[in-house]
Amino acid sequence: MQKSTIQFLIINCFLALFIISCGSVTKNYTPKKRDKTSYQAPYFSDSKKDYVYKANITVYGNELSGIFIAKKINDTTHRIVFTTEFGNKLMDFEISDTSFKVNSIVSELDRKILINTLKEDFRLLLKKEYLLQEQFENDDYNIYKSEDGKRDNYLFLSKKDQKLEKVIHSSPTKEKFTVLFSSENNIFAENIQIIHQNIKLKIELHYFRSE
Amino acid sequence: MKTKIALLILFISGNLFAQEQKMTDAEIASFKQDVNVVSKKIKTLSTDFVQYKHMDFLSKDIETSGKMVFKEPNLLQWQYKKPYNYSIVFKNGKILINDEGKKSAVDIGNSKIFGRINKLIVGSVSGNMFDDKEFTISYFKLKGQNLAKFIPKDAALKKYIKQIELTFDKEEATVVQVKLLESSEDYTRIVLKNKVINAKIDDSVFNN
Repeated sequence: MQKSTIQFLIINCFLALFIISCGSVTKNYTPKKRDKTSYQAPYFSDSKKDYVYKANITVYGNELSGIFIAKKINDTTHRIVFTTEFGNKLMDFEISDTSFKVNSIVSELDRKILINTLKEDFRLLLKKEYLLQEQFENDDYNIYKSEDGKRDNYLFLSKKDQKLEKVIHSSPTKEKFTVLFSSENNIFAENIQIIHQNIKLKIELHYFRSE
Repeated sequence: MKTKIALLILFISGNLFAQEQKMTDAEIASFKQDVNVVSKKIKTLSTDFVQYKHMDFLSKDIETSGKMVFKEPNLLQWQYKKPYNYSIVFKNGKILINDEGKKSAVDIGNSKIFGRINKLIVGSVSGNMFDDKEFTISYFKLKGQNLAKFIPKDAALKKYIKQIELTFDKEEATVVQVKLLESSEDYTRIVLKNKVINAKIDDSVFNN
């Protein structure tokens, strides 16, 4: 009897943990009737514009800085280049929702795990079309859930001015990484942060106007 | 019409030849002599620079600018002031970085590649880089200028830089432009101006 009670408690604990972690992204938000079925992110969408940022990357306590460049090269694809301040190209990718190509990468950074992580990060950073399945809210944001394969993206649109300020990329059980945008005009993001929850990686981008 | 096009092509290609003409052996010897005389006198050097990063897929070059300071034997500061503050100092086997006030240091010890980069930057700016063991060098004449093209022989260096082109003012025998080619489409072009040679430069400049 006692044994089965303990088992029951343990199972319940696990179940409770599971349910809590399941709803980790949305647990503090109130479900709401969905007011739209799709969303188009405004950033990085102008093919005439060179998106040039000073980049600071912190990875497991190591700092790396340089220049991050994104350019929309056709309807579906962006070119992404990361150089040192001196202009040496460290990596050069072409990326769309469904394709990924490494044009070049210096041998020091040519690690599959790093490339795959950056591929996921940049794909979400540049993602334009979101199909929305559920909606939530809190005091400041309307929060939309958008399925992304086996994972989900949660889009945070400010109630005040409808700006996309945050996207959380999450598995069913935990948050993987977050992209934070700060934008004055809601067309263009001046400051961006990509923060990983499960690995110690943070990418900060600050837009700079060339002289 | 055809003749017009043919003439135009002839004109353009004629111009190209006029722009970049190979030096004779005697001219090379005298050019190297001039540059060596000037660069040997350099104890300190400071210069403003404008850097243009050209990539074929961009609509505009990325422009950054700042100041470079060198003091014998091997103190070097490369400082970007616009549009951001970033400076890097090579000093006693260390690289000191100041990124918008955030400071860090990298111990490069006897790292051959960084030693080479240091030598390369100083060489590029002073012009004294005529090392046939390190580079395959070719020499050209331009209007009022000389041009030397350096192809690295070292495989490790060649991975980063395909070719370095130094443009010299003919009269002063000093470098006015450095061009680092990564590929045929992508390069970094650095224009040097307001060069001051042998002014007094305090060591504290290199504290970063």
